[in-house]
Amino acid sequence: MPFRLEKRQEPSRFMVYATPVAAVLLTMIVGAIIFTLIGYNGIGAVREIFLTPLTNSYKWQDLGVKAAPLIIIGVGLSIAYRANVWNIGAEGQYVMGGLAGTWVALATYNMTGPWILPAMILAGVLGGALYAAIPAFFKVRFNVNEILTSLMLTYASVQLIYYLIRLPWKDPMGMGFPQTRLFAEAARLPTIIPGTIVHLGVPIAILVAVLAWFIMSRSVFGYQMKVVGAAPHAARYGGFSENKTIWLAMLVSGALAGLAGVLEVAGPFQRMVPGFPTNYGFTAIIVAFLGRLNPLGVIFAGIVMAITFVGGEVAQTTIGLPNAATGIFQAMVLFFLLAGDILVRYRIRRVQAAVGTA
Amino acid sequence: MEILIPIVITLVGAATPILLAALGELVVEKAGVLNLGVEGMMLVGAIAGFAAQFYTGNPYFALLIGACAGAATSLIFGFLTLSLSANQTATGLALTIFGTGFSALAGAPFSARPIELMRPLFPAELATHPVWRVVFGYSAPVYFSFFMVFAIWYFLKKTRGGLILRAVGENDLSAHSIGYSVKGVRYAAVVFGGAMAGIAGACFPLLLTPQWAERMTAGRGWIAVALVVFASWKPFRLLAGAYLFGLVMTMELYAKAGGGPLSVIPSELWAALPYLATIIVLVLISIRRDASTNAPACLGKPFLPSN
Repeated sequence: MPFRLEKRQEPSRFMVYATPVAAVLLTMIVGAIIFTLIGYNGIGAVREIFLTPLTNSYKWQDLGVKAAPLIIIGVGLSIAYRANVWNIGAEGQYVMGGLAGTWVALATYNMTGPWILPAMILAGVLGGALYAAIPAFFKVRFNVNEILTSLMLTYASVQLIYYLIRLPWKDPMGMGFPQTRLFAEAARLPTIIPGTIVHLGVPIAILVAVLAWFIMSRSVFGYQMKVVGAAPHAARYGGFSENKTIWLAMLVSGALAGLAGVLEVAGPFQRMVPGFPTNYGFTAIIVAFLGRLNPLGVIFAGIVMAITFVGGEVAQTTIGLPNAATGIFQAMVLFFLLAGDILVRYRIRRVQAAVGTA
Repeated sequence: MEILIPIVITLVGAATPILLAALGELVVEKAGVLNLGVEGMMLVGAIAGFAAQFYTGNPYFALLIGACAGAATSLIFGFLTLSLSANQTATGLALTIFGTGFSALAGAPFSARPIELMRPLFPAELATHPVWRVVFGYSAPVYFSFFMVFAIWYFLKKTRGGLILRAVGENDLSAHSIGYSVKGVRYAAVVFGGAMAGIAGACFPLLLTPQWAERMTAGRGWIAVALVVFASWKPFRLLAGAYLFGLVMTMELYAKAGGGPLSVIPSELWAALPYLATIIVLVLISIRRDASTNAPACLGKPFLPSN
């Protein structure tokens, strides 16, 4: 073997930030090759998916609207994963946030007032947090794996949507479609730039990320999350409760996923429909990793993943690339990122042929 | 009595893919590796098996292709986690996202094109009587799954290879120091788990619904992962667990078909039941005893010899 891995004394700061960029670039190159090999226009696919959303200014508003939920959920997940709490049911917590907001919107349908939207948002945040409390409780009380419980609850939450919009919440004027009525004006998220679809959720996402960054890097809470995740024994010795950390990590990530859900239903959707679960909760897992579990990094990662979503739609109409291709590109980013992690912890050394016999 | 027979046959059909996938994951976890990509490997196996059956009409070849596709997918996981010691949880999730996207892309040209279901293994004369149908009326993967329960139990408990595999899962550093290849054993286990997940996935179009549908495994791969915990890493308990879940899914099918006392409960609740049952079962098993005591000691931890 002409090369050898040598453990670094300290993780490389440079590699921590260089590997996400390299992962995206490698995905573009390898993606172009693979899609050419299986008979698509590979270079065209990469151009449409990664570049068109950036160069075409009409697509910028789409980018903002798609990035907002990814950033909000990704920030929550980055906090949880830092603490080694594996909440992968953000999609379900997003759904519950959306349903809780819908409930308030329908209950206040004949009312008006500036308090309705804040009440919806509060309900959404609580809905997401409560749904995340279930795996947290089982983890803390019975040591049940949170990965499995939070994921199973996601599947269950989707069925809850189907039930609610088929029977109790069905639009009486909906001609039999399983969906709720369109929300009243007071229950809709206002757009912030007239003439575009950019809604209040976009600045909220940036605000959430910056606040989370501040809390994670400047407060005891953030310190506790990081220590429990990185060195559980030291954390116990230092008096940080592991159970409390699990609760906090789950509730914060659930609350943020719920916030994303209610913003999404009050903004782009304005009613509850069967297509409400759009995989933001799963893509946000990639966002959290690509952002290096750092809230500010999550902003950039959220925009990159939003680019692939918007670009995937572009490629569907312009070059007939199936929508599923987006998922492959997103998974490839994560693969390359995880593979690149080894460069953070190790350096590659050339070994002289005469010396080593291994 | 007569009415029970179709129920048993539906139950066996629902339980078999979960059992096959869970058996593969059990061996992987016994070697100390946690691969959460079962759902993704199943979906790749499902589309590969579907395509093979579509073009050749030979279901045995289709199962083989499904196994190869699952094994090939698992090599991505193996390379990242074993050769590059990447985080196993994150890599497994990435594998599921990849498998979902890949199968949807590869399956797009096949939508609304039916294939032929796999025929029963034994000649129809053996299964004319209803009671014999319950014994002889299934296709090969069902009998294969029973055989594998026994074979894996025997391998793990009674053979030298099984002992080495368990040693690698319980104490990788010791196994390494007495000269066993930790990486080699784990690669073999991961590829075996991938092949089993691939066969399990191929069962969906070959045994259950002879059409391609995106995400047709519907979270069964995750239930398989949960079952391994439920069975506390024991093959025969896995068999019991898989049939318990098969029963829940069979009730769902009958409730959706309409009529009878089962349809009082909304169909959405029935659809959610397998997932809720998984949670309940995991909690019950943890209340009864500390579930983690039986887990392989090195489960999910990267192997980092200090050479």
